[in-house]
Amino acid sequence: MYKVAIIGVGQTRFGEFADKGVKELFVEAFLEAINDVDKGIDPKEIEEAYIGNLGVGGIQLGNFSSMAVDQIGLHGIPATRVENACASSGFAFRSAVMAIMSGVCDVVLAGGVEKMTDIPRDKLRYWLGVSGDTEWERLAGMTFPGVYALMALRHMHQYGTKREHLAMVAVKNHKNGAQNPKAHFQRETTLERALNSPMVAYPLTIFDCCPVSDGASVAILCRADLAKKYTDTPIYVAGFGAGTDRLSLFEREDFTTLMSSVLAAKQAYKMAGIEPKDVDVAEVHDCFTIAEIIAYEDLGFCKKGEGAKLIEEGETEIGGRIPVNPSGGLKAKGHPIGATGTGQIYEIVKQLRDEAEKRSRQVSGAEIGLTHNVGGSGGTAVVHILRRG
Amino acid sequence: MAYVSIPAYWKTIPQRYSLIGLRCKNCGYINFPAREICAKCGKKSEFEPIRLSGKGKIYSYTIIAAGSTPPEFLLQEKYVGSYPVAVVELVEGPKIVAQLTDCKVEELKIGLEVEAVFRKIYEYNQVIRYGIKFRPIRKRRIHKGS
Amino acid sequence: MVQLLFTYLGEGDFMEGKCGIVGYGVYIPRFRIKSEEYVKAWGIFAAPGVKEKAVAGFDEDPITMAIEASMNAINYAGIDATDINCVYFASSHPPYAEKLMSSTISTAIGAPSNIATSDFTSSTKAGTAAMLAALDFVASGRGDFALVVAADSPYADFKDFIEHRLGSGAVAFIIGKEDLIAFIEGIHSVSMEFFGERFRKSGEKFLRDLAIRSYAKYALNKIYITCVSELFRKVNRKPDDYKYAVFQQFDGRTPLEVALRLGFKPEQVTPTLLCTKIGDTGSASCLISLASILDAVNPNERILVASYGAGAGSDALSIVVTENIKKKKDFLTVGDYLEDKEYVDYLTYLKFKRGI
Repeated sequence: MYKVAIIGVGQTRFGEFADKGVKELFVEAFLEAINDVDKGIDPKEIEEAYIGNLGVGGIQLGNFSSMAVDQIGLHGIPATRVENACASSGFAFRSAVMAIMSGVCDVVLAGGVEKMTDIPRDKLRYWLGVSGDTEWERLAGMTFPGVYALMALRHMHQYGTKREHLAMVAVKNHKNGAQNPKAHFQRETTLERALNSPMVAYPLTIFDCCPVSDGASVAILCRADLAKKYTDTPIYVAGFGAGTDRLSLFEREDFTTLMSSVLAAKQAYKMAGIEPKDVDVAEVHDCFTIAEIIAYEDLGFCKKGEGAKLIEEGETEIGGRIPVNPSGGLKAKGHPIGATGTGQIYEIVKQLRDEAEKRSRQVSGAEIGLTHNVGGSGGTAVVHILRRG
Repeated sequence: MAYVSIPAYWKTIPQRYSLIGLRCKNCGYINFPAREICAKCGKKSEFEPIRLSGKGKIYSYTIIAAGSTPPEFLLQEKYVGSYPVAVVELVEGPKIVAQLTDCKVEELKIGLEVEAVFRKIYEYNQVIRYGIKFRPIRKRRIHKGS
Repeated sequence: MVQLLFTYLGEGDFMEGKCGIVGYGVYIPRFRIKSEEYVKAWGIFAAPGVKEKAVAGFDEDPITMAIEASMNAINYAGIDATDINCVYFASSHPPYAEKLMSSTISTAIGAPSNIATSDFTSSTKAGTAAMLAALDFVASGRGDFALVVAADSPYADFKDFIEHRLGSGAVAFIIGKEDLIAFIEGIHSVSMEFFGERFRKSGEKFLRDLAIRSYAKYALNKIYITCVSELFRKVNRKPDDYKYAVFQQFDGRTPLEVALRLGFKPEQVTPTLLCTKIGDTGSASCLISLASILDAVNPNERILVASYGAGAGSDALSIVVTENIKKKKDFLTVGDYLEDKEYVDYLTYLKFKRGI
């Protein structure tokens, strides 16, 4: 099996763009990724594409991948749309990695795009309920924040985590996002503001929830032994893992962990031959603040139940022991569902290359980075470990 | 807009109307909702229907705020406002997710004893969809003096 | 018990005291609205004698109420739902104009598929009509147990006075042959054409009452006097033989007027006036009052139940309580449901009824 390197990444700003649709956004991210390949690449060298998209914008029902590669001028190549809810492009990336590892392809595109802000509010409600089980959870009146709220309450009950800890995650990620030109929200917030904002699903307030965003992200991967042809700073895929969990939260044993994340992380660490403490920087899936706290535990950054302690002690700030979400995370950077996974790849690649936009966000000396992308309420999850060359 | 079709909803009537769980004859685990393959032992064994008592405790809950509800509950949200949803751990073991009704926010807590009640869940295309909600146990059938 | 059977003379005595009530259960919604709320909203509360009434919550309707009442009745009777051979559902204002609702009920309670069901509607005497049909079902030998459940949450235009009295409630009875807590010693029914009283045309949402007072009063009295006196003749009884008499409760005043006219005393009727606390519960009204009386009554006491349905007709039953009445101890009483309450204001009331 071949090793894999990332030779170029591109990402649009995440946010609300009335004048940009899926096509415009995807092309923008694609062109940026092409230009990011510092020794140059002819787009025609890309042999295959995996594109993550949930379809919120509803522009194209079937054959989304065909539309996407057509728009970027690469119609003809094999293309697949990957859908695993919010982990769509994370899984698209994983498929791209495996396509190269297997020897079928040398150069592959992995990316994602989502347009969420152009549909009426009532239709948006439908999409916001989609991440969990429909038959039982949604018909019980559950929403996406609602499912995570159930997890939050159990975490508070079992481990003494407090609403303040959740708010600390929001404060940290907004602070990081404020320094990220590509982030949806570029304003800091305070603990007080976060705590006193309107409830969305008790105990989660609007500040505990990631926004609804538009955006696209693209990564170009190639065989590791060919990477130096394209760039002097290839970033290698050291390991990856993925997993699933029971779709419905209520059918799980423990609401304070995501089995899919735990399995994905274990596989990834094993493949990369590292331990959690070796990770220098991580982009984790904070669709809700509680998700970040649970991710600390699931990814092994701290012991089970001690996620609140980790944020409280500031260990996950940019200058801390294990910086988490220097981009601002889903919370501040935004969450265009299909684009989030490869968006995390974008950030880690930039960090490992020492190229973080706004130097204040650069984690100094980062050699090993981790991305953690979860689908919905944990039905699927995928972890990638990237390493500087 | 995606929706749960009539036949799909109808198929789950034993669970939605009567809390019928399926006891796996192989390992004894009570599956709820119904499954083709036992959730515990992973075998496609035979199942024995068992009507659950509807009594349980709140395992976790949340209050879905007005403004974010799924489309099925738009009307409810407009007329009633925010509503509580809980995961209830039934005395027989299985956990179930359902709305809480006839319930004040102040009463909500993990561990609250609740009982199942048959209520209207929502209406779609003029057809009423019924199902189970839970309410705090306030009245008990106790022994009364003559 | 045998002596009491032989005092029953009657014509058409198909029942021979052989069937009656094995168990019963009620359901009253938790929410209540006080008459004062109406006075605040409209300046008047046009339901004499009613102090407060029960309000079905947003997620309730006659079917949901019927199911809880039925489960309570099954518990009281000590039978299994699979023993039930017949489900008769009554509601003057059911959620569907056409759709077999008794099958929703029979399925939810766990009754078998091999079962006779029917929905009774179109007047406030639907409840007693269903009760009589259930008695026929069991007496004729078609089955061992029949469930009759009446549930109502009538609905009228909020601007109309008739709306003020409309409440919500449900009651269920298990009819059988053995271990009766009360048997039916005689029945009688009457039907005469009277139109333009309280009615609702197909497809209309709101109940109407033309309120032609003397006409309505004439109909009520004519029907009741004919029905009850004929019942008395059949069973050879008079008003004094009864401990309680239950009449249709449109409000807290009319049943007393009817009763006095028939020769009853206020103390026989006042304890039955559940409408003062739960409002006019339509087709469930007489039977839910019967249930509240059964909560309190003693063996060998007699109860008269006579319903009235506009259009018009009446069913009257002469009921005798047996020794078994005090046996069942663990069941939810009407009192339990009355105590479990939460008041709502008029705005919430309107929202629950989707009135705005």
